[in-house]
Amino acid sequence: MSEDLLKQIADCIQRGKVNAASPYPPDMKGEDGADELTRKALDDGVPPNDILEKALMIGMGNVGHLFSENKVFVPDLLMAAKAMSAAMAHLEPFFSSGEAKHRGVFVIGTVQGDLHDIGKNLVCMVMEGGGWKVIDLGVDVSPEKFVEAVKKNPGCVVGLSALLTTTMVNMEKTVTMLREADPAIRVIVGGAPLTQEFADKIGADAYSPDPQGALDFLAQSA
Amino acid sequence: MAVMTGIERIGNLLRRKPVDRIGVFEHFWGDTHKKWADEGHIQEDESFEDHFGLDLNLCWPFNLVAKTDFKPEVVEETEETVLTRDGNGALLRTHKLHEGTPEHVDFLVKDQAGWEEHIKPFLKPTRNRIGFEAYRDVKRLAAEHDRFFCWSGVNVFELMHPVCGHQYMLMGAATDPDWVRDMVQTYSQLTLDLQETLFAEEGYPDGIWYYEDMGFKGRPFISLDMYRELIQPAHTATVGYAHSKGLPVVMHSCGMIAPLVPGIVEAGVDCLQVIEVKAGMDLLQLYEDYGDRLSLMGGIDVRTLYTNNREVIDRELEGKIPVVKGKNGYILHSDHSIPNQVEYESYRYFVEKGLELGTY
Repeated sequence: MSEDLLKQIADCIQRGKVNAASPYPPDMKGEDGADELTRKALDDGVPPNDILEKALMIGMGNVGHLFSENKVFVPDLLMAAKAMSAAMAHLEPFFSSGEAKHRGVFVIGTVQGDLHDIGKNLVCMVMEGGGWKVIDLGVDVSPEKFVEAVKKNPGCVVGLSALLTTTMVNMEKTVTMLREADPAIRVIVGGAPLTQEFADKIGADAYSPDPQGALDFLAQSA
Repeated sequence: MAVMTGIERIGNLLRRKPVDRIGVFEHFWGDTHKKWADEGHIQEDESFEDHFGLDLNLCWPFNLVAKTDFKPEVVEETEETVLTRDGNGALLRTHKLHEGTPEHVDFLVKDQAGWEEHIKPFLKPTRNRIGFEAYRDVKRLAAEHDRFFCWSGVNVFELMHPVCGHQYMLMGAATDPDWVRDMVQTYSQLTLDLQETLFAEEGYPDGIWYYEDMGFKGRPFISLDMYRELIQPAHTATVGYAHSKGLPVVMHSCGMIAPLVPGIVEAGVDCLQVIEVKAGMDLLQLYEDYGDRLSLMGGIDVRTLYTNNREVIDRELEGKIPVVKGKNGYILHSDHSIPNQVEYESYRYFVEKGLELGTY
């Protein structure tokens, strides 16, 4: 029974069905969404961590992979993230009590000099959906601010984003300072002008052309 | 073939008719001119069009912000950034030390109600939205130099997101398509009404140029189905109007938009620009798939110019120009714009080599 409910929640996340009032997607109009079904699962006694791992992460993972394959697009990803947030709101108290556990902490920001945030925000959504606690430092983030966040969150992973060729050079400085602060830190980079070659050159651990790639890298390297 | 003027050459290239050589045009970041002027390569008051013999002049004469008399309010200022609210009610953070797209911090419009309250009532085709004098001046300048003159401006996708941001616009496209349709229809009609007024008084340009960024790294923002349902009607209407006046249409989009190209061709666009390689666009593939129906401008990886290495630039040009000039529909342009990391001599070489390869 709970397996069916978890699958329903995962479907709602994947298809962006937020709640019963939401008209989207049109073929699910009037049906319960991620909001109501997550509440129901908790009321039925489904362990919060099962909801996280067997519903939310599955649903967001599915939509993330479809996005990587250009089978769904930004509106679909945004709606999936909205549905996930509605579900996650019910789980929040259980992270403090330890009944639900994040996979780790992911610190992310757009590097200094760069004010673009769409790509970064999509990564935040997919990482949260993948079970990570996301600390979003915003845009135009100095290397010092990244270092400060890493010191406050030992063992975290860092994501650096840049859209401009003129600001991607600031990534190298940020990676260098992060390594000085914590030689074991893992750093993932992404953004329009970046390539694997550039990521290798500046000493990043991974380059991902899309949000799901960052999540997959962390799953493989865990 | 005798040497053609810019007007003749671009006019033919946009219609895929024989020319003497490929065309040439470019966009530059603002600080590139200053650097090259400081180095003594170009005069402070000299245009790139004059200096490099570019084939086009563009003029962007419309102001489509909702409240045209609104003076941007500075909400917060630091040493490096300034946060302002603009005439669309958007809070934007811009960097003071270099150019770039501003950060979209917040919007008054997040749904149809906000659109109807804050924006739609103000979008009237009033004369104060038109820069008559600027249009007249650039039109005359282009004619004096035999350059192809384009009215330029943004189309509906680029008009909506400054009002409500990409995220609200794209979620609205999913959850409330009627709202997005209303914005699309309102902006396309406003554009056409203003064009009617301007062209009736000042005469027609040689062509129309729409900026319409619909993609980012690796993918478009929306699917081809959603494009056809929500955006294409405006493209069909605005391109159709231009064609009814005998004007070819160039459409610019940054990012990876290859999945949308069938819809863009259906809408009647004559030339696709800028074909951003680093986002995943492939000039040679586009040429193979659409070269008989669509002229192409750009698609030369600007990162090869950053190297300031002539061998690297040669490889990029030699791999593309001899192929894409085949159907008389190619205009030389980088795949975005030229930043000041590109040395003057490198860009000069890029133009000379590109046109040498592109001569018939």
